[in-house]
Amino acid sequence: MSATDASASPFATGDPSKIDAGVALKHPVWQAIETAIERGGERLNPILVKEARQALKSKQFVVTFTLLLLAGWVWSMLGVALLSPGVYYAPGGRFMLSGYFIILTIPVLVIVPFSAFRSLAAEREDGTFELLSITALSSRQIVTGKLGSAMLQMLVYYSALAPCIAFTYLLRGIDIVTIVFLLFWTLVASVLLSTIGLVVATVTRARHWQVLLSVLLLVMLCIVTLIWTMSFVSLITDTQATAFDDVDFWLAMAAIVTFCISHAVMFVLIAAAQISFASDNRSTKLRVMLLVQQTLWLGWMMFFWIRFEEEAILYVLVSVAAVYWTLAGACLMGEAAILSPRVKRSLPQSFLGRMCFTWFNPGSGTGYTFTVANLLTLVIVTVAAGVTAELGGFAAARGNFDWLVFVTLAVAYVVLYLGIGRLVVLLLRQLGRVTMLLTFLVNLFLAVIGVAMPLFFQAWLEGYSRISYSIVQMTNWAWTLEEAADGNLLSFSVPIIIYCSAGVVFLLNLLFTIYEVEQVRLVTPERVLRDEHELHPQNDDSGRRASPWDEPMVT
Amino acid sequence: MSDRPVIDMRRLHRFFGSTRAVNDISFEVMQGEVFGYIGPNGAGKTTSMRILATLDIPTYGDALVDGFSVINDPDRVRRRLGFMPDYFGTYADVNCREYLDFFARAYGLRGNDRRRALGHVMGFTKLDGLAEKPIRGLSKGMKQRLCLGRAMIHDPSVLILDEPAAGLDPRARIELRQMIRELADKGKTILVSSHILTELAEMCDRVGIIERGELLAVGTVAEIQRGQITHCQIKARIIENVPAAAAWLGERSDIENIRVDGQLIRFSHVGETGEQAKLLREMILAEFAVAEFGIEQRSLEDVFMHVTRGVVQ
Repeated sequence: MSATDASASPFATGDPSKIDAGVALKHPVWQAIETAIERGGERLNPILVKEARQALKSKQFVVTFTLLLLAGWVWSMLGVALLSPGVYYAPGGRFMLSGYFIILTIPVLVIVPFSAFRSLAAEREDGTFELLSITALSSRQIVTGKLGSAMLQMLVYYSALAPCIAFTYLLRGIDIVTIVFLLFWTLVASVLLSTIGLVVATVTRARHWQVLLSVLLLVMLCIVTLIWTMSFVSLITDTQATAFDDVDFWLAMAAIVTFCISHAVMFVLIAAAQISFASDNRSTKLRVMLLVQQTLWLGWMMFFWIRFEEEAILYVLVSVAAVYWTLAGACLMGEAAILSPRVKRSLPQSFLGRMCFTWFNPGSGTGYTFTVANLLTLVIVTVAAGVTAELGGFAAARGNFDWLVFVTLAVAYVVLYLGIGRLVVLLLRQLGRVTMLLTFLVNLFLAVIGVAMPLFFQAWLEGYSRISYSIVQMTNWAWTLEEAADGNLLSFSVPIIIYCSAGVVFLLNLLFTIYEVEQVRLVTPERVLRDEHELHPQNDDSGRRASPWDEPMVT
Repeated sequence: MSDRPVIDMRRLHRFFGSTRAVNDISFEVMQGEVFGYIGPNGAGKTTSMRILATLDIPTYGDALVDGFSVINDPDRVRRRLGFMPDYFGTYADVNCREYLDFFARAYGLRGNDRRRALGHVMGFTKLDGLAEKPIRGLSKGMKQRLCLGRAMIHDPSVLILDEPAAGLDPRARIELRQMIRELADKGKTILVSSHILTELAEMCDRVGIIERGELLAVGTVAEIQRGQITHCQIKARIIENVPAAAAWLGERSDIENIRVDGQLIRFSHVGETGEQAKLLREMILAEFAVAEFGIEQRSLEDVFMHVTRGVVQ
C-alpha cells in the first residue's frame, strides 16, 4: 500500500495532517459528506462495525445472498413462464409476490435470527466474549450490536429482492399497501425472533445445552416461518381481504406493534442482564420494562373497552395479565436479595423514593411485592372501568358484576400461589442454593398440583362421570375462574376464602421482605468521586441532589 | 510515582464447591514493577488473574487496581487494565488491523486517537507488516504479539499476562521478554504468570509462589531464598588431601550433604555470609590448599522446587 493509500484508509496511522491534506483535494461537498460519514461511523456501535465486516465476508452470508438472488431470478423466470401468455393482459402481481415472499422469509425469519443466536453463542464458546466483556462496552451495547448486525443483514436481503418486489407491483393485481404491510410485519417478526435468539444464546454456557438449544431454536424458527408464510401467502392470494380500510384493523396493528417493540426491548434487556457482570443490578431495568408492558396492556385494553364496549375485553385483560404476572413473578422470586455495594450506591434515599422504588431492587421479596402491586393496579383500573361502564350505561352493560368476581378472584389466585411459592423457596434456600429455574418449577408445580389434587380427590370420592364443581375445587383455579366467569359461583364462600388466604399469605410474605426493604444507600467512595470528576468535569454535581429521590444536601 | 500499590490483593478467596481455587491470597504490586506469578497447574494463578481482570468475582476478599475494587468498580478497573489470557480468542474473517481496530473502538477510542493507538501498538509489537494478514494465518508468536497489542491498545497502566510465553520459540520468547521489560520501564505495572521460570527470573522484579490456592512466598528471588532456604550450597576446590578436607568438614555441625567429586567438594552450609567467610578462614588455617570457594547460586527453579510440594487439588 502506498503512502497515499495508507492515509486514505480508515485505519491510517500516519500524521493526521496528511489525511486532512488528502481530503482537502476533494470537492467541498464530498469532503463534507465524507466527514459526516466518518463522524457517524465513529458513533456506531463497535460490535455492529465488527459484525458487519465479519458477516459480509463470511461464507454463510455469501452463500445465503447468492442463493437468495438465484432463487429470485429462477422464480422470476418460472413465474412469468407459468403466467404466460396471460401475463401480458391479466394481473399477475399476487402470484409472483407469493413466490418472492416465500423466498424472502427463509433468510429473514430463519437464517438471520439463527445467525444472531450463533453470533453471541460463538463469542462465549470461542472465549472472545471474555475479551469483549473487559472492554468499555456495556452488556447492552454487545447485545444491541448483535441485533444491529442482524438488522443490517435483513436490510441487505430486503434490498436484494427489492427489484423483484417492485416488479410484482408493475404486474398489477397487488397494491402498495399490501406489499408494505407484508414487508413491515416480516421485518418486525425477524427483529423479534432475533432478540429471542439472542436470549437463547445467553441461557447456558454448557456446550451440550447449547447444542440442544440451537436445535430447538432452529425447529421453532422453521415452524414460525412455515405458519408465517402460509398465513401471509393466503393474505396475498385472497383478493377479498379488504381489512385495510377498517380503522379498527389499523388500531389493532398499532397495538400489536407496540407489544412487539416492547417485547423486543425486553428480550434485549434480558440477554444483556444475563451476560452482565455478577455485581451488576440485573433486575431493575427488567422491572421497569415489565411496568411499561403492563401500562401498554392496560392502556390498549382500556382504549378498546371504551371503543367497543365489550365486557369480554375485561376478561381478556385480566386473564392475560394474570398469566403474564404469574410467569414474571415466578422468575422475579428466583432472584437473590443480595445487593452489591455498587448497586447500593444508587439506591433511592428519601422516604418517598424508598417507598416507591424499593420494589425495583433485586430480590425475591421485592419481586413478589412488585408483582402484587402491579396486579392491584390492574384490579383498581379494571374495577374503575367496569363500574363506570355499568353505571354510565355502556351498551354491553348487563347490570351484573360477574366480571368483578372473576377479576378479583383471578388476581387473588396469583397472589396466593406466588406467595406460597415464595415461602416454599425461602424454605428450600435454608437447605441450599435455589436457582431461578428451580423457583419457576416450584411455582409451576404448585399451580399444577392446585388443579390436579382436588380433581383427583373428588373423582375418587364421587366418580369421574358425576363430578361437579364444589368447594373441594377451591384450589382449582382454572375451574373456579371458569365458574366465576359463567356466573355460576352461587355462594361467596369460595371467593371470600381465597381473598382471605391471599391476604394472609401476602402479609406473611411481607414479613420476610423486611430485610430487603431495609437496604440503604452506601456512600460512593472518595476515590470513585474523584475519578468521576476527572472523567466528566462538566458533570460535577457535588452539592446538588442527583435526583428527586435523594435526600436534600445539608449545607 | 504514587506510593499506593497499583495492584492490591486483599484476602482473596474463590471457592468452586468444595475446591478452594484461591484461598486467602494477599499481595501488592507497585507501579512499574514486573511481578511474576508462579505455581504448578491448578494452583489458582489463572483464577486469581481472572478475578483481577474483572472476569470473575471472589467468594470473599477483594482486589484493587489503582485503588478501585474489581467487584464494585469493574468499569473503572477495566479502563486501567489490559488482560492477555492464556488462550487466544479470535474472530474468523478478520485481519490484524481490523482486530485491533475493533478493540480500540470497544475501549472507546475515536478518530485520530484510535489511529494513533493502532499505529503505536502495531509498531511496538512489530505487526506493521502483517496488518492486512488474516489472523488465522498467523504463527503462534505473531498471535501472542497481537494478543499483547490488544491488551495494551487503550494504554492501560496495568497489564495482566497469563502464560504469555507458552508455546513460543526461543526467539519469540526473548522478544516478548524484551517487550515486557520495555513496558515496565515505561511505568506499566505487570503481573505475569509463566511455567518457564528462567524467563520469569530474568524479567521479574518480584515473584509470588502459589500452590493449592495459597500464596507460599512473595518477594525477590533472593528474599524468598533467604526466607525459605536456611542453608546454601557451597563448592570448594581443594588441590591436595581432599579426603582429609572432606572428613574435617564432616565433623562440623553447620555442614551437611558433603559430596566429593575429584578435587571438588560440594556441601550445604547453614549460616550467613559472615559465617561462610569464617569457614573459609578456618579451612585455610587448617592448611587445606583451597583453590576455589564459592556459593552456588540457586535459580528460581530451585526456589520453586523447594517452596512447592507438587500437590494438586
